[in-house]
Amino acid sequence: MTRWATAAGVAAAVLAAAVSVGVLTGAARGERTQRGEVIVSLDGGISPLKLPRDHLAPLAIHLSGDIRTADGSLLPRVTRIEIGLPVQGAVSTRGLPKCPARRLRNTKPPQALAACGGALIGRGNLTAKVFLPEQGPFEIHARLLLFNSRVDGYRGVVLQAYSSEPPIVVVLPFTLRHRRGTFGRVLVADLPKDLGPRPRLASFEMTLFRRYRYRGESRSYLNASCPIPPRLTAGFLTLARAAYTLSDGRQIGVEITRGCRGA
Amino acid sequence: MGRAVFLVMIALATGTAAAAEAPTRDEYVPRLEAICKPDALATERVSKGAKADIRAERFAVAARKFAKATAIYSSTVKRMGAVPRPEGDEAKLGKWFAYLERQVSYLKQITAKLRQDDPIQAQRLTARFIHNGNLANNVVLAFGFDYCSFKFSRYG
Repeated sequence: MTRWATAAGVAAAVLAAAVSVGVLTGAARGERTQRGEVIVSLDGGISPLKLPRDHLAPLAIHLSGDIRTADGSLLPRVTRIEIGLPVQGAVSTRGLPKCPARRLRNTKPPQALAACGGALIGRGNLTAKVFLPEQGPFEIHARLLLFNSRVDGYRGVVLQAYSSEPPIVVVLPFTLRHRRGTFGRVLVADLPKDLGPRPRLASFEMTLFRRYRYRGESRSYLNASCPIPPRLTAGFLTLARAAYTLSDGRQIGVEITRGCRGA
Repeated sequence: MGRAVFLVMIALATGTAAAAEAPTRDEYVPRLEAICKPDALATERVSKGAKADIRAERFAVAARKFAKATAIYSSTVKRMGAVPRPEGDEAKLGKWFAYLERQVSYLKQITAKLRQDDPIQAQRLTARFIHNGNLANNVVLAFGFDYCSFKFSRYG
């Protein structure tokens, strides 16, 4: 690993830690949107903040979000998740190993990493609330591992969520789609029906970051610039959008804008 | 005495009419969304490429786009303000409209600074514009606005 990669890795870890502290203390919840009783929030940031003005450079993106209800009622069931990333960035997968979803089924994280560590592009955590009839709700805390993959013939990401208590493994494939507009790269996942109606997504946090070498060249999964004129020292990135489709057909989304500095 | 009774009756009648006019929150939101939707889409159209223009230092071109967006937004806020507000939400909506007026002012100032070839001030004002927009959204979170809520991605 190069010195730069080490520095970027440390920066990503510091960013993740800082945001995790924020999440744990409930300090910052980022931007919020409400539809009916459902409130979704999204927060996040990039590391490093300082990016080249005229060419792409590697970066880490940290995102955290949650779903709640204004009146504390039962969380809605999410049937589709979409994570939109800005069109001015780039996702590079050339030369990056791919991990098919089937390799991750019924595996614990160490086995998943042994099978697909070369394709790892991110980590995180997820909380789901499980509502059982005639019982109080309980929470499932799962570790997330995200791997580069090919899904239905398209570039994609396979997410593995592992909980030790109770022991559950969920493997969720996201396809990377291209759309018009600000958030031109969208990771889309349909939540499988076999998850059942009981578990409801409550919150997540993830950091996407991966440096790798291909044909002697150092590359990064995520790349972006801070394209601002020479006279400016800082600019804005419309960083991400999280959109959810609920089981009743309603859609709810929230987007965040964050600053960057020109190198 | 007779005149006083007449005035009281007029006042009561006016009050009753006003109460009858006041929509519920469920009626108010779609009324405002119907105003905001075409304007939000028009803002997206006229602002297209504004950020790229700023990057390329085409400040006069960006200023023209922001000027069009400002005119649209200013008119939107004016028409939104004319809609009768639900009873009990007046204070919250009053606060929201104060934020929206500030958004109009920021857009005007950003346009002026871009015209004056002063991107540094325009950028500082943009930071305030984004922050103020997020504060505005938080005030009316429970209303569930879509097109009437602030989204920075609409501006190019």
